Amino acid sequence: MTAVLSIRDLQVSYGAVPAVRGVDLELHKGELRVILGANGAGKTTILKALLGLQKATSGSVQFDGRPILGMTPQQINKLGISWVPEGRQLWSNLSVYDNLLLGGFGVADKAVRRREIERMLERFPLLRQRSRQLAGSLSGGEQSLVAVARALISQPRVLLMDEPSLGLAPLMVKQIFDLVQEVNAAGVSILLVEQNARQALQVADWGYLLENGAIVTQGSAADLSQSSTVQDVFLGGSI
Amino acid sequence: MEMFLQLILNGAVVGSTYAVVALGFTLAFTVLRVINFAHPEIFMIGMFGGLAVASYTDSLWLALLGGALVAGIAGIILERLIIRPLYNRDVLMTLIATLGVGIVLQNGMAVVVGPDAVSFPALLPRGGVEVGLLSLSYKQLFNFAVCISILGVISGYVRLTLWGKATQAVAERPGVAAVFGINVARISQVTIVAASALGGIAAVSVGTLYGTASAYVGVLYGLKSFVCMLVAGNRYFEGVIVVAFGLGILEALVTGYLSSGLRDAVAFSVLIGVLLLRPQGLFGSYTAKV
Amino acid sequence: MFIAFEPILIFTLLNIALTVGLYISNLSGQLSLGTAAVAGIGGYISAVLTSRLGMPFPVGLLAATAGGVVVGVGLGLMTYRMEMFVFKLVTLAFGEAVVVLAFNIDYLGGANSFTGIPLHTGMFVAFALAAGAVLVAYLIDFSALGFAARAVRDDALAASAMGISIRGVRVFTLAVSTGLIALTGAMQAHYLLVINPHDLTFFVSLSIIIFLLFGGMQTLWGAVLGATILTVLPEVLRFSNEYRLILFGVLVVAIVMLRPEGLLTRRPLKVPPRRTGRPLPIEISQVGPNGA
Repeated sequence: MTAVLSIRDLQVSYGAVPAVRGVDLELHKGELRVILGANGAGKTTILKALLGLQKATSGSVQFDGRPILGMTPQQINKLGISWVPEGRQLWSNLSVYDNLLLGGFGVADKAVRRREIERMLERFPLLRQRSRQLAGSLSGGEQSLVAVARALISQPRVLLMDEPSLGLAPLMVKQIFDLVQEVNAAGVSILLVEQNARQALQVADWGYLLENGAIVTQGSAADLSQSSTVQDVFLGGSI
Repeated sequence: MEMFLQLILNGAVVGSTYAVVALGFTLAFTVLRVINFAHPEIFMIGMFGGLAVASYTDSLWLALLGGALVAGIAGIILERLIIRPLYNRDVLMTLIATLGVGIVLQNGMAVVVGPDAVSFPALLPRGGVEVGLLSLSYKQLFNFAVCISILGVISGYVRLTLWGKATQAVAERPGVAAVFGINVARISQVTIVAASALGGIAAVSVGTLYGTASAYVGVLYGLKSFVCMLVAGNRYFEGVIVVAFGLGILEALVTGYLSSGLRDAVAFSVLIGVLLLRPQGLFGSYTAKV
Repeated sequence: MFIAFEPILIFTLLNIALTVGLYISNLSGQLSLGTAAVAGIGGYISAVLTSRLGMPFPVGLLAATAGGVVVGVGLGLMTYRMEMFVFKLVTLAFGEAVVVLAFNIDYLGGANSFTGIPLHTGMFVAFALAAGAVLVAYLIDFSALGFAARAVRDDALAASAMGISIRGVRVFTLAVSTGLIALTGAMQAHYLLVINPHDLTFFVSLSIIIFLLFGGMQTLWGAVLGATILTVLPEVLRFSNEYRLILFGVLVVAIVMLRPEGLLTRRPLKVPPRRTGRPLPIEISQVGPNGA
């Protein structure tokens, strides 16, 4: 299997404070990998570095064999990496439709953009109903759907998802994880960041455990569920 | 009653100009998180640009165009040399740097044209329209029409076009906008330049309204438009338009019924009240770091 | 060409005192946009007491200082809970409201200025004021209070978690600051002999911020240096008023663009910023990489 995304010795610091210290990570084509870790472990920072939103101190990131560190977010978007940010981060003052429209801002071909929006509205009838409503007025679960749909308009090859289940009701959490699996099954490689280890390990192929900005454990999802470290930290152990 | 209505009309005319300047100010703050104190001075530069064109050509339309060009070019230079290098720095830094630019523009113009107000060529016929006991001069009507058109153009752009929506997206979440392929720097540039150029047009129309132009005209509009923005909050740019009209009308009423000395107190009393009771502004603000 | 040194020196000393006053409240992050208005309040108080009510100069100064402290305590209590951006706006609005009041109170001369203030401020008094201001600021700066103030400025939440009273620190530093500024305003009034409401406006306040910024906001000596250079330089160049202001504007832009930390700066302490729920990056008892 070839790696679509490969990260070598990634280091990021905020001022003098290191947030990510030498992370190695790979994502293969069609895979779903998860980074587990507590609040502030550096998960979001890794995603931001991949997206060009946060400068890396050192290390390298290759997307399809091309180094992407140092590129602008726009250039990275063009290559086919998309994002479901933590807490959804929709444009609350714009309609659901406009959120999808801007999700496809980087798509040069208008017809393609319109077709993809249509496809999303087809897949999520609820969003079609709400398409004129302001995104900020939706419930948390509905917003999560918009965030995922927005990220898919540009037909990305890699999707970075930052705690898509955060703050949702249990029923909705399950739906979102089903959706994650569905998107993955459609051929999009996914790097998922989660605190909800139990659910995440059920859908993922491979997992990393991040602590204080470094990967302390990794393995197949099945192995990780059994690992004493992960057990201790996430699955019923103390945090 | 006639006096009351007349005052409201006069106030609305003044308010429409406040609205144009305040909207330029607000767009810069909302989209770029920049308090652009050079904006009112660019307005002033635009006024003199229009004056220069008007005195050579005697054409109202060319004067408006001249004002837009001069102010727009000033906006391009300001954005490139001052605002962009300071992007993502503390709000106070851009505030002070743009204020420095404003001081240079203002006093530079005072050196060129002298510290006193100069007369602006009369480009519009005298007289006006009278309805019953109410009257509006052609100059007032023209100024009002120009400002309303500018406000309409800006709202149409921001609400209806893809780039306008992208502008709103940058205003609320610049990082997310960038990830989805929106060129934040380009959007910011367009915002500053458009606000400057449209402000320049309004400035020329204000020049014809009062028949004078002064190097110090920006000071008046600067603080008041800043206050309008703070009172309205930066969440809905229409809010600042409403507040600007309200301020113009309130000032006219205070001048008419109380005293002209208290006119300038209106803006700041309203501001203190709003800051204490509703610091996010009447219409709410993005919880951006400021 | 003759340059009158005494006025320049006195203005410099007064501006040092004002800038140091601003430095004190900025220790706890309160950068007021109403400095000129507070100074003006001090000036009016002392002017009324000495020229209208015939009180002696020291009483005027004392009353001005007290007035400044009252303003500081009031503003401080009103705003200590707010974000510091809102503090700036409240002080701005307060300042402009004072200006409007000053314009409209005929007893204070209104737009025609308050005139006939007796001359009391000389070189010696001004020097004593500036030296006193620097001394007070120095004492606060290096006391426990100074550290508490900086802690509040850098992260109010973390500071209060450490048991620092945000209200106490903010209100106290602001009150000392406004007291000093009002005192300086009174001294200034007794030197210029007139007060005009225009001297109280936002742009005058901003120029004092610019003094501080120019010298360096992080150090007391930056405040002194900034006030000195930006007062002396335009004066000795003897330009016309417009050219002086142009020079001022150019200097301001240059410092922000080229050296935003100001001329003098403090070496930053390497203290990691607080991040919620995140252990400090100190390597103790980490879970070992046993599964990797």
